[in-house]
Amino acid sequence: MRELRVVWRTLQEAWSSIKSSGISNFIVISILAVALALFGGVLQLNSSIKQISQNLDTQLEFSIYLLDSANVEDIARQISRLDKVEKVEIVTKDVAWQRFKEKFDFRDISGNPLPNTLHVNIRRPQDLDEVITEVKKLSGIEQISYAPELFNGLERIRSILFSFGILITLILALGTITIVSNTIQLVIKSRSLEIEILRLVGVDDWFIRGPFIFHGIFYGVASALLAIVPLLLFQNFVWNSFQTSFKTIMPVTFNFDSGSDLGMIFFILALTGILVCGTSSYFTTERYIKI
Amino acid sequence: MIRLRNVTKAYGNIKALDNVNLEIGAGEMALVVGASGAGKSTLMKLLYREEKPDSGQIIIGNIDVGSLSHTKIPYLRRRMGIVFQDFKLLPHKSAFENVAYALRGLGAEEYEIQKRVSGALKLVGLLDRAFNLPSELSGGEQQRVGIARAIVQGPPLVIADEPTGNLDPNTSFEIFTLLERIAQRGTTILVSTHNQSLVKHFGKRVITLDKGKVISDTGSTFTTGSGGGFARS
Repeated sequence: MRELRVVWRTLQEAWSSIKSSGISNFIVISILAVALALFGGVLQLNSSIKQISQNLDTQLEFSIYLLDSANVEDIARQISRLDKVEKVEIVTKDVAWQRFKEKFDFRDISGNPLPNTLHVNIRRPQDLDEVITEVKKLSGIEQISYAPELFNGLERIRSILFSFGILITLILALGTITIVSNTIQLVIKSRSLEIEILRLVGVDDWFIRGPFIFHGIFYGVASALLAIVPLLLFQNFVWNSFQTSFKTIMPVTFNFDSGSDLGMIFFILALTGILVCGTSSYFTTERYIKI
Repeated sequence: MIRLRNVTKAYGNIKALDNVNLEIGAGEMALVVGASGAGKSTLMKLLYREEKPDSGQIIIGNIDVGSLSHTKIPYLRRRMGIVFQDFKLLPHKSAFENVAYALRGLGAEEYEIQKRVSGALKLVGLLDRAFNLPSELSGGEQQRVGIARAIVQGPPLVIADEPTGNLDPNTSFEIFTLLERIAQRGTTILVSTHNQSLVKHFGKRVITLDKGKVISDTGSTFTTGSGGGFARS
């Protein structure tokens, strides 16, 4: 029971410490929330691109962009004769351009940069490479867009974004550690008399340092809660809208849901915030509180 | 209760205490006197392990203070009360809360806190001012709150470092009378002071320090050897 009372009173002291920090709390939490939101964004993007990549592995569809000089119907006929091909759909450049303009509201642009396109459905995913090899032998083909190619491109984008995001996050985290440390240091200085009295009457080390460490942990949790808000907004508005547009313009279809990872992302953010702020507070108390 | 053997403490080239030997019995009240820089405060700080001796041995009860590990220091301090010249009261807490503050940190139950704090404030004659802030109390009353805080855990030893240094002669007399009354209840009291009139009036054992050495000791009227309740637990 004594231990529970000490923990409860340590939390009460932590709350006093937080209250005495005033505007500093807002500054620390805001900066850390930006760092965590960025980190969460990187995790979210990483997770979503991974899901797309996994979807691409099982695609039964690919697209062929034809040269303007090619005979669309002739090429479509040749491809549909292949055993492993189930269906070939012709989307002429005029139809594609019409759809594009309707989707993106580009009425004032003259000329049509889009090629004639064939959407090819195969019977089994494992036949994709064989069909692509056969299609490549045909003349009049400008480009073939299929999953492995897209997969590699997405992987490259994911890798670059991930590395860049982690780098920015680390820089912000270092800044946050300094700010948290300075804030805790100021609180320690403002409560130096209380600390001195406590240590001279023989209060345990933990009761003296604990409130400052809990103070840091509070920063971590509060920042994580704040950081998840833009991620939720991104998930619900931007990402869902992107998915719809993506499905319209890309030759393949997806079925992914990055929302399922948000809980885990919040957990990672809270843990990161707690670790960064808690550790920073701990080392600050080690340095500035003499027992 | 307190035993010092060949204790030396230096700050750089200056010896604050030089080969000091002392014994103070349980329940005894002793006064440490000397000019500024004689080593009084250093002696006090060594006793509550704010400082560590460079050489020699300090035994309080059964505890070898000098060799105490960092984590054991709170156990030593819980068994003594410390009174400061500048009172060290928290300005935004009432007299009651100032005395109760440490007990809360030690995990005492609320009813126990109420009982102990009220008892300590009654002993120092401040029960009726329990809910006044330090700024609403006189210097003497503030020091009495400091004494109540020092004795609230019922320690066998109270160390008072210049407790009347900031007080007028009449108030200083009151504080000494209070400390004497606490000593009569069986608590060992060690007081550092430079107030010669108080020293003469109270006629207690007087240990005189000069340049870190004990130059005179009127001697103990107590027999030593008992831990005086100051045992390691």
